[in-house]
Amino acid sequence: MFHYEFMQNALIAGFIIAILASLSGSFIVLKRYSLMTETLAHSSLVGVAIGILTGFSTLWMAVIVSILSAWLIEYLRGSFNLYSDAILAIFLSGSLALAIIMVSLSGAFNSSLFSYLFGSILAVSNHDLIIMGIFGFVAMILLIGFSKELLFLVYDEEVAKTSGIKVKWLNYLLITIVAVTVALSIRIVGVFLIAALMVIPTIAALQFGYGFLKTVMLALLFACLSVFIGMVLSYMFSLPSGAAIVMCVIIIFIISLIINK
Amino acid sequence: MKFVAPVFEVSNLKFEISNQKILDSISLKIFTGEYDAVIGPNGGGKTTLIRMLLGLQVPTSGNIEIFGQDIKKFQGWHKIGYVPQRATLVDTSFPATVLDVVLMGRASKRGFFKRYNKEDKDAAYSAMRQMDVIDLSQKMIGSLSGGQRQRVMIARALASNPSVLILDEPNTGVDKNSQHLFYALLRDLNKNNNLTILFITHDVGVIVDDIDRVFTVNRSLSTCNNPKEAISCKDISKLYAISAHLLHNHHGH
Repeated sequence: MFHYEFMQNALIAGFIIAILASLSGSFIVLKRYSLMTETLAHSSLVGVAIGILTGFSTLWMAVIVSILSAWLIEYLRGSFNLYSDAILAIFLSGSLALAIIMVSLSGAFNSSLFSYLFGSILAVSNHDLIIMGIFGFVAMILLIGFSKELLFLVYDEEVAKTSGIKVKWLNYLLITIVAVTVALSIRIVGVFLIAALMVIPTIAALQFGYGFLKTVMLALLFACLSVFIGMVLSYMFSLPSGAAIVMCVIIIFIISLIINK
Repeated sequence: MKFVAPVFEVSNLKFEISNQKILDSISLKIFTGEYDAVIGPNGGGKTTLIRMLLGLQVPTSGNIEIFGQDIKKFQGWHKIGYVPQRATLVDTSFPATVLDVVLMGRASKRGFFKRYNKEDKDAAYSAMRQMDVIDLSQKMIGSLSGGQRQRVMIARALASNPSVLILDEPNTGVDKNSQHLFYALLRDLNKNNNLTILFITHDVGVIVDDIDRVFTVNRSLSTCNNPKEAISCKDISKLYAISAHLLHNHHGH
């Protein structure tokens, strides 16, 4: 199966996503921002809908709308005295409603939409792969470059701020990376399932009780393993790849729980 | 003269939320090498005052200068170590060792895109040795007792070689027997490292007899130049309506 070009593309894309999702997911989980990934996934769908309606690249549109939503959410959280989870809930359902209306208007309720929702190994074009490679590389360099500041930020934001770290700037950087990761993932994992790939590998790795670096490495291993096995299962049984990947990551989580009971 | 440069100079500070005065007409100066306490009842505004000194909250009006520089322009935050009240209440499953946490104190000094180097690690180990947590360096932060975690948080603050240490209710989660030792340790840091120390407490009973000054905060501020004076202060009796007693602290005795 690995000699098919579409499968090679899907695997490369899958590993890019696995690396990004687990690295950025570690910070997001520890910051208790997990719901953010789900919300941004729904916002990405608005981008996809804009792409379908206008004929622009759906992946580009997903990236742009996801980043703008992330910034707007962060701005609202910082500027208004609103409950932050309530803001996420508003965006979560609001974006989905908007996306559904736009897709309905364009008459595109079809199997191609289905692949955006649940992922497909057939969906990654060479063009997609280039976008994913560029964004993925930049995001990964930033995550690694700022990892010690990000760790301080998620451990204790106030003390990080008083020690001179630009926490506002770092928060924006982190959610921008998450927004990009989520948007890039919709081809392979799908809008409804990406949050699982960002959150569950870290939760599974946390069960082992290691320090930060080992925990992140373990989360990375779990994400890559789930993506690989999920894609093979998707090919063999013609399943939506996102669903197969998420089932793998959940099985890894259950095994981690049992081992560390 | 022991006191030379003002670390903090606060003038006419006011803080309001929804037209309700939390702090009013606060003016104070804290000098290098002082060992001071901020006391007052819960809800009296002492944490708010400290948070404004740290730039975490912006006053409604008034000025704050740190080392002679307006707080808005102040860049030398690494000179100020902060140990928050919730230091003992961290997420127990957080994946960080004691060393990971103490090294965080070096993050802003090292700068973006740079890994911790030998100098950072030496500073972290030296701070852990000083706080007697060096044997715990590879333990997970969540597995420590409240008192141990408190010392780790102070080690993190010390790792950046600060000139000032600010502690909010440092006794939260520390058992009563360890309090004497804890305050003796703070005094040693103050004397041996010439570290300016400011700590908040709501418990008047823990005021030790060798601190320099006591600030009582209950919307407004009054300053007492020694703890004995503080205890006899009319203001304190009024604040608490109790007869406070001194906790004698003779450095380990």
